[in-house]
Amino acid sequence: MPDSHKVRQVEAIANGTVIDHIPSAATMIVVSMLANDDDEVFIGQNLRSARVGRKGVVKIAGRELSDREASSLALIAPGASLSIIRDYKVVAKHVVPVPEVFEDVARCANPNCVTNHEQWPTKFEVVGQQPLRVRCRYCERGFAPGELEPT
Amino acid sequence: MRPVAFAGRNIISIADFGHADLIAVLDAAAALEREPRPRLCDGRLMATLFFEPSTRTRLSFEAAMHKLGGSVIGFSDVASTSAKKGESLADTIRMVEQYADVVVMRHPRDGSARLASEVSRVPIINGGDGSNQHPTQTFIDLYTIAKLFPELRDGTRELTVAFAGDLRYGRTVHSLLAALAHFRCRVLTVAPRGLEMPEQHLAHAREAGVRIDAVPSLTDAIRAADVLYMTRLQEERFPDPLEFGHIKATYRVDAAMLAGANPRLRILHPLPRVNEIATDVDRTPHAHYFAQAGNGIPVRQALLAMVLGKT
Repeated sequence: MPDSHKVRQVEAIANGTVIDHIPSAATMIVVSMLANDDDEVFIGQNLRSARVGRKGVVKIAGRELSDREASSLALIAPGASLSIIRDYKVVAKHVVPVPEVFEDVARCANPNCVTNHEQWPTKFEVVGQQPLRVRCRYCERGFAPGELEPT
Repeated sequence: MRPVAFAGRNIISIADFGHADLIAVLDAAAALEREPRPRLCDGRLMATLFFEPSTRTRLSFEAAMHKLGGSVIGFSDVASTSAKKGESLADTIRMVEQYADVVVMRHPRDGSARLASEVSRVPIINGGDGSNQHPTQTFIDLYTIAKLFPELRDGTRELTVAFAGDLRYGRTVHSLLAALAHFRCRVLTVAPRGLEMPEQHLAHAREAGVRIDAVPSLTDAIRAADVLYMTRLQEERFPDPLEFGHIKATYRVDAAMLAGANPRLRILHPLPRVNEIATDVDRTPHAHYFAQAGNGIPVRQALLAMVLGKT
């Protein structure tokens, strides 16, 4: 199909950030984690995707997320891609890099972990890449991303 | 891993220590056992913060500090502290570090000692954080094994260490396995179904080159092992009291069972024991658990002196 006839599943934005290839179930979590209350946000959920079957797309208009801001995505939505849009054009696009440590983006799933009992940010160190495995810096338990709930 | 200077260092998790570090602690403990240094920590103050009771660990640390000439303050009953009033752990540490040169803490939450170490300007020694780590017990276990079997250090013979009992929840066996992975060892495991050693601990040791085999009974372990490390079975892990009764009888060593033992065999236990080692074992040459507890003094002296920059 020529580009001119391609129907966008989610409204285009002139400037800002597009997060694509989000596992569908994580779409609203991504919105709550990354979008500010006054951001203009466009959301697509359960969209068809040749790559991942069903996916979510989140577009945040007028704001370019840094890799650091987006790093939590690697834990909540592994494989998601991040595009920076300027004047309707993609000027940068890449899969969200996995940081060495995820700081304060998820609660520890161990109910006896000290971070669930004290006001203290969580830290999860990456101990395996494929599949992604993390380890709580405090209680030293290992987890798959799906076992953790975002903060 | 290169050895790291110990002065000012925290003792939180055995995973923080490499082979050279472990050897440095064993050497320092041996030196203090050979030649006591009653003035080594003159003028230094240790705070013991025991948010949950542990008579053995606290007394052993306090004895160790007194024998180095240092002083001790602390509490062993959380009900009498500000934590009971809702003070955060971080604030308690920020207060105590104003008074003490080193802090030894035991706390019911996993990871509490690591959190404290991120707040504190003085070294934190973990005396047990929930079900996570108890690194000084591991140093004691390792020191005990190295004293009994010098080949652990020189690697001239592969040492066989058997772990028996609750290998799933017992933090001492997880940590000791991690420490042994730095040496030439074979490991045997004997555990009731459902209380086997978690795969993540086994995998880590195997990656380091440790041969690990599960054996069906204590008798098999007794015949083959140089060291039998017994742990306590906790009744609350068994929903069925009948099953607990049966397992308790199976995971019990008595003197009669030791007739076919490897003559070198020594039995260790982090204590307290309940039923898993019959008292008639105490009179056999295989019993070594009380001597192991005694090793707590030189090992904890060594750790205190090292983090205080005195050795």
